[in-house]
Amino acid sequence: MNKKVLGLVPLAIFILLSVFLYQGLFGNPREIQTGRLGHNMPAFSLPDLMDEKKTWTDKELQGEVYLLNVWGTWCPTCLAELGYLTELKEKGVKIVGLYYDQAYDPDFGDKFDVVALREEVNNMLSRAGNPYAFNILDLNRSLALDLGVSGAPETFLVNKEGKILVHHTGDMNTRVWRAKFAPAIQELTP
Amino acid sequence: MKKFIFCLGLFVSAANTYAIEDKYHFDSAEREQMFKELTHELRCPKCQNQNIADSDAVVAKDLRDKVLTLVHEGKSKDEVIDYMIDRYGYFVHYQPPVTPLTILLWVLPGLIVALGFGFIVVRQRKSAQVQPWTDADESKLAELIAKYEQREQQ
Repeated sequence: MNKKVLGLVPLAIFILLSVFLYQGLFGNPREIQTGRLGHNMPAFSLPDLMDEKKTWTDKELQGEVYLLNVWGTWCPTCLAELGYLTELKEKGVKIVGLYYDQAYDPDFGDKFDVVALREEVNNMLSRAGNPYAFNILDLNRSLALDLGVSGAPETFLVNKEGKILVHHTGDMNTRVWRAKFAPAIQELTP
Repeated sequence: MKKFIFCLGLFVSAANTYAIEDKYHFDSAEREQMFKELTHELRCPKCQNQNIADSDAVVAKDLRDKVLTLVHEGKSKDEVIDYMIDRYGYFVHYQPPVTPLTILLWVLPGLIVALGFGFIVVRQRKSAQVQPWTDADESKLAELIAKYEQREQQ
C-alpha cells in the first residue's frame, strides 16, 4: 500500500507542474500590480493641454468619480480606443485625459511646439471622437512616473476622494470594462 | 597582422564612444557606484527583460533620470528602491521581497534536496543491513551454480 502511494508521487508532481505551467500560458505579463493602487492620486499641478493659463491640481479633480486616461497622438492603440472611450462618455462616465508626450527631453535640447501639438490633438479627436472632459499636459511625464505609468494607453479609475481603484495597462474595450471597471464602480454606488 | 591591428583599433574606439555616452557627473565615487548598481537592479516596466540601464524605452530613461536626481539628493539605495516600488510595484526591482508566497522559492529547493538525501540514506541503511545467511542457503547456492555450469557445458 505504502509503495503504491509513493509511486503516485511523481505523477502528482507532474500534474501539479502541468497545471501551473498551463495557467502560465494564459497569463498576461503586462498585467502588473503597480504600487499606486489603493493610494490617493499623487499631488500635482500641471497645465491644461489647450490652455496653458489653466492649471489643474489633484485637489481640483476630487469630488467626482472619473477615469484618468493616459494617451498620446503618437500611440496607435490610443487612437483605437478613442471610439470606445467616447461611448463611455456618452453613458455618463467622466474621462480626464493625461497627455503623455512620447519623447520630449530637455536634456537633448528638444523644442516643444505646443501649438502644433494642439492642432494634432484636435485633428485626431475630431476624427476618432473626443471622450475627454479636458486634457492635462504632462510634458515631463512627472505625474506619469508618480502614477507608475510605463507607457500609453493606461487608464485609472479614481473615486470621489481621489483614491485610485483600478490601474489598467493597455487599451480599453468592453471586455476590460466589464471585468475590471464595472465591478469597481458598482461597489461605489450605494 | 595589419587587419588584426585595425580591428583591435575599432574595438578600442568603440569602447571609448560607449564610455562617453555613459557619462554622468557625480559628487563622489560612492554615489556613482550606487547609481550604477541601482540602474542595473531596477527593472524596466516596459521592456520586461531589461534593466533600466539597458533599456531604451522612454520610461526607462525617465526612471534613470529620477534615480539620478534622487542619488544627487543624497538618498540612500534603499530609499531609491522604495521610491520606485511605491510607484511601479515590486515588479520594478529584480530582487523580490520575502513574503509568505515567495518564501516557497527559497524553502522548496532545500526541502527537496533534504528529502532526496533522506531517501538515499534510508535506502542505504536498508541495503546495508546484514542479511541472515545459513548453511542451507549456502548449499542451495552451490547446487544452483553446479546446475548452471552443467547447462553451459552442454
